[in-house]
Amino acid sequence: MAAPQQQQIDLNSLTIDNLAAVKKQLDDEIEHLMGASTKLKKAQDRFREYINAVKAGIKPETSDKPLLIPLTTSLFVPAKLSDPEHVLVDVGTGYFVEKTAPEAVKFYTAKIKTIETNMADIQKVMTQKLQNVRVVESVIVQKQTQGGQ
Amino acid sequence: MSDSQKLQALTQEFQNIQTELSTVVEARQKLESQLSENQSVQKEFGSLGDDAKIYKLVGPVLLKQEKSEAVMGVDRRLEFINSEINRVETQLAELNAKQEKKKIEIIGLQTQMQEAAAAAE
Repeated sequence: MAAPQQQQIDLNSLTIDNLAAVKKQLDDEIEHLMGASTKLKKAQDRFREYINAVKAGIKPETSDKPLLIPLTTSLFVPAKLSDPEHVLVDVGTGYFVEKTAPEAVKFYTAKIKTIETNMADIQKVMTQKLQNVRVVESVIVQKQTQGGQ
Repeated sequence: MSDSQKLQALTQEFQNIQTELSTVVEARQKLESQLSENQSVQKEFGSLGDDAKIYKLVGPVLLKQEKSEAVMGVDRRLEFINSEINRVETQLAELNAKQEKKKIEIIGLQTQMQEAAAAAE
C-alpha cells in the first residue's frame, strides 16, 4: 500500500548491509502474509461451523423438540423454535438479513469460496516473496565469501 | 547552531515525519477493510429481493429496516469511505514528498560535514 516498488535493482550492486535490510523487509512481509492466511483459515472454519449449525438445527422437525438455549456458557433455559425455517444472517457492518436455511447455507458457502480465492492469491504472492528471499540470501552468501577472500 | 546540532534537528524532524506516516498508513488500511466490508454488504443487498427482511443492529437490538433504506445507508457509507480514502491518499503523498525532501537535506548536510572534516585534516 506504500509507494510502488517496481523499479529494477541489481542485487549485486548492493552492499551486504543493504541486502540484509532487503531480506528483513521481505521476511516481515512474509510473516504478515502468513498471519493473514491463518486468520482467513480461521474465518473459513467459522463459516463451516455455521453451515453445520444451520443444517443440524434449522429444519421443520426441530419445532417439536424442546431446545436448551444458552443464556451464559453454563446457564440454559428450555425453549422451542417458533420459526424453524428462517435464520438471521449477519452480512456485515451491523446488517442482518432474514434467510431460509438453504439460503443461509448458500450464503456461507459463497463466503468460504471468496476466502478460498483470497487465500490462493496470498499463496501466490508468498511463493514469489519466498523465492525473492532465497535469491537475496544467495547473493549475501556470495558477497560474504568474496569479502572473506 | 553547529552542523551536528543541525543534523540532530533534521533527524528528529525526519523521525517525526515517519511516525506521522505510519499512523496515516494505518488509517488507510483501516479504510480499506471498511471499504471491502461495505462492498460485500452492498453486493449481498444487490442479490436480495425487494421484500427481503433486513435488520440493523443498533446497540444491542435489531431494528427492522426497509431494504431501500438499508441500501441507501450502505451507499452513503461507501461514498464517505471513498472520499476519506482520497483525503488520506493526498495526505500520504504529501508526507512521502516531505520525507523525501528531508532525506535529501540530511544527506546533503552529511556530505558537507564529511567534506569539512576531510578538509580539516
